[in-house]
Amino acid sequence: MRLHRLSGDMGILAGAFVLLWFAPSFASDYALQISFRVMIYLTLAESWNLLTGSVGLVSLGTASFVGLGSYVAFGLANHFGAPIPVILVVCALAGAVLAALVSPALFRLRGVYFTVGTLALAALLQLLMVNLPTFGGASGIFLKHDPPPLASLYHDALSVALVASLAMAICARTRISVIIRAVRDDEDAAAQMGVRPYRVKLAAFALASALIAMAGAVQAINLGAIEPYGAFGLQWTIDALSMVIIGGIGWRLGPLAGVLFVVMLGEMLANYPEAHIAITGVILIVLIRFAPGGIVGMFARLFTRSTRLSSP
Amino acid sequence: MPDFGTVASAILSGLLLGGMMGLIALGLSIVLGVMRLVNLAHGVFLVMGAYAGLYFLKLTGFDPLLALPLLALGIAALALPLYRYLLAPLAQRGPEAQLMTMFAVAIILQNLFVFVFSADTRSIERSYATLPLSLGAITVPLIYVIGFAIAVALILAIHGLIAHTGFGRDLRASAADPAAAATLGVNVQRVQMLTFALGTACAGVGGVLIGVAFQFSPSSGGAYLLNSLAIVVLGGLGNVPGTLAGGMILGLLQSLGGLTLGDGYRDIVGMALFLLVLVFRPEGFLAARRA
Repeated sequence: MRLHRLSGDMGILAGAFVLLWFAPSFASDYALQISFRVMIYLTLAESWNLLTGSVGLVSLGTASFVGLGSYVAFGLANHFGAPIPVILVVCALAGAVLAALVSPALFRLRGVYFTVGTLALAALLQLLMVNLPTFGGASGIFLKHDPPPLASLYHDALSVALVASLAMAICARTRISVIIRAVRDDEDAAAQMGVRPYRVKLAAFALASALIAMAGAVQAINLGAIEPYGAFGLQWTIDALSMVIIGGIGWRLGPLAGVLFVVMLGEMLANYPEAHIAITGVILIVLIRFAPGGIVGMFARLFTRSTRLSSP
Repeated sequence: MPDFGTVASAILSGLLLGGMMGLIALGLSIVLGVMRLVNLAHGVFLVMGAYAGLYFLKLTGFDPLLALPLLALGIAALALPLYRYLLAPLAQRGPEAQLMTMFAVAIILQNLFVFVFSADTRSIERSYATLPLSLGAITVPLIYVIGFAIAVALILAIHGLIAHTGFGRDLRASAADPAAAATLGVNVQRVQMLTFALGTACAGVGGVLIGVAFQFSPSSGGAYLLNSLAIVVLGGLGNVPGTLAGGMILGLLQSLGGLTLGDGYRDIVGMALFLLVLVFRPEGFLAARRA
């Protein structure tokens, strides 16, 4: 049954991937740029949803791994002339390794300490990059060669988003989902049942971090220049968190709904960055209080209510 | 190799500054202890205190340090509706909902500050802030000594409040076991509201001191929040004297880090220390469960 639903998900994803692959042949540059951002954000949001919605670890460290991916990608491209697939694989490994390295500190105690630990990690990495001249200091690094054309980068971002979506489909549609939910709902009970909470949390954290680092790499190459305040900026963290809360935390379609909403809001308020963030904050407060399920949760509630009303 | 005077001055400056950081961290600590909430807006409340001091000086001409009680009350009063309308309704929903709400409050306020006050770096300019205080080869800024004295006096006052008053007893009971405290007739929600206001006031007062001693901008809050967290971990949650000690240790280490590695490394020391303490000595947190 579950495997059947998994193959259904895979079919939908494969279909969407093939359709979206041909977008560059008819979409305008502006539309392609937006689609690129949707793919990057979708990867960030799926990863955050896995950590927070599924495993129950509230992360404020998205920026750590976006920044890590950016710097590793530039190092590989500038010093070794590495092609993008190689860069992506190495970035994914780097993200997972950093997650594993910091996990003894972050998982030492439960709950909110993971959250503040991830926040401290992002700040620490940002300050290190600002102060270490090897990594370009506060002024950052330029890509030595011209970045690939947008259409090619769009395909890379689409591929990363596909990998992220496939990983989430597997997490949601196989036995893994039961294990993850057991750890989220009651770590001690899960441990009694033979699940190792530490390993499950670490695996989820490493997977999310690997995906975020890949997204960071692609978006940095698209920019052509990186500096610590942008690459490790709190904005990445705010974006990931707000997209998932707005879309619907813990819902499969939550990240996608949230990404589309946030990208649209961002386009409408592109000239008012402060207002954009402040409005996002207000939306977050209202949703957390009145609609913890976000957009998808509201629709789900409407739908179940209407079916219940129509049934005799 | 820097001479003795430079090193000794840096060490003393670090300790004095650490005392001020201890007051700021104490505000974070009591809210964490009583409400189980890491107030991610703590740094932004600090920046709010700095702006309050700045505009108090501009509008009235009085020294904001003399009006600290008034400023503290004003900032504490702002915290009450935040608790009443944003945090209290989420009390039954686990710590994450409150945490993320305060994160949202932080980004709203920070961008509001940019909008109202601009992103420029400011400071509360007082003539005495730049005066040096010399004792032999050791020289520290006078404002560090003033700030330290105010911070330690307030930390001791809060210690007395928690240890020796009826409110303090309610506060300790609510921190130890809110449900049991409520059963015994403690108005836990009122205690939490007042604790939140007190914590915010600590950040606000710290902000006025920081505003006189240093420069600040709307985005200054993040570093103070993270340094405060490092101090809370270092000193042990719910341990008031420990928080002062933790602040002074962090201040000392930051000074030494700045002296040996360069000024840019001051804040790195705080965050690295925070993560290291989490790895090697998390008892700071565990002590809290018993406090």
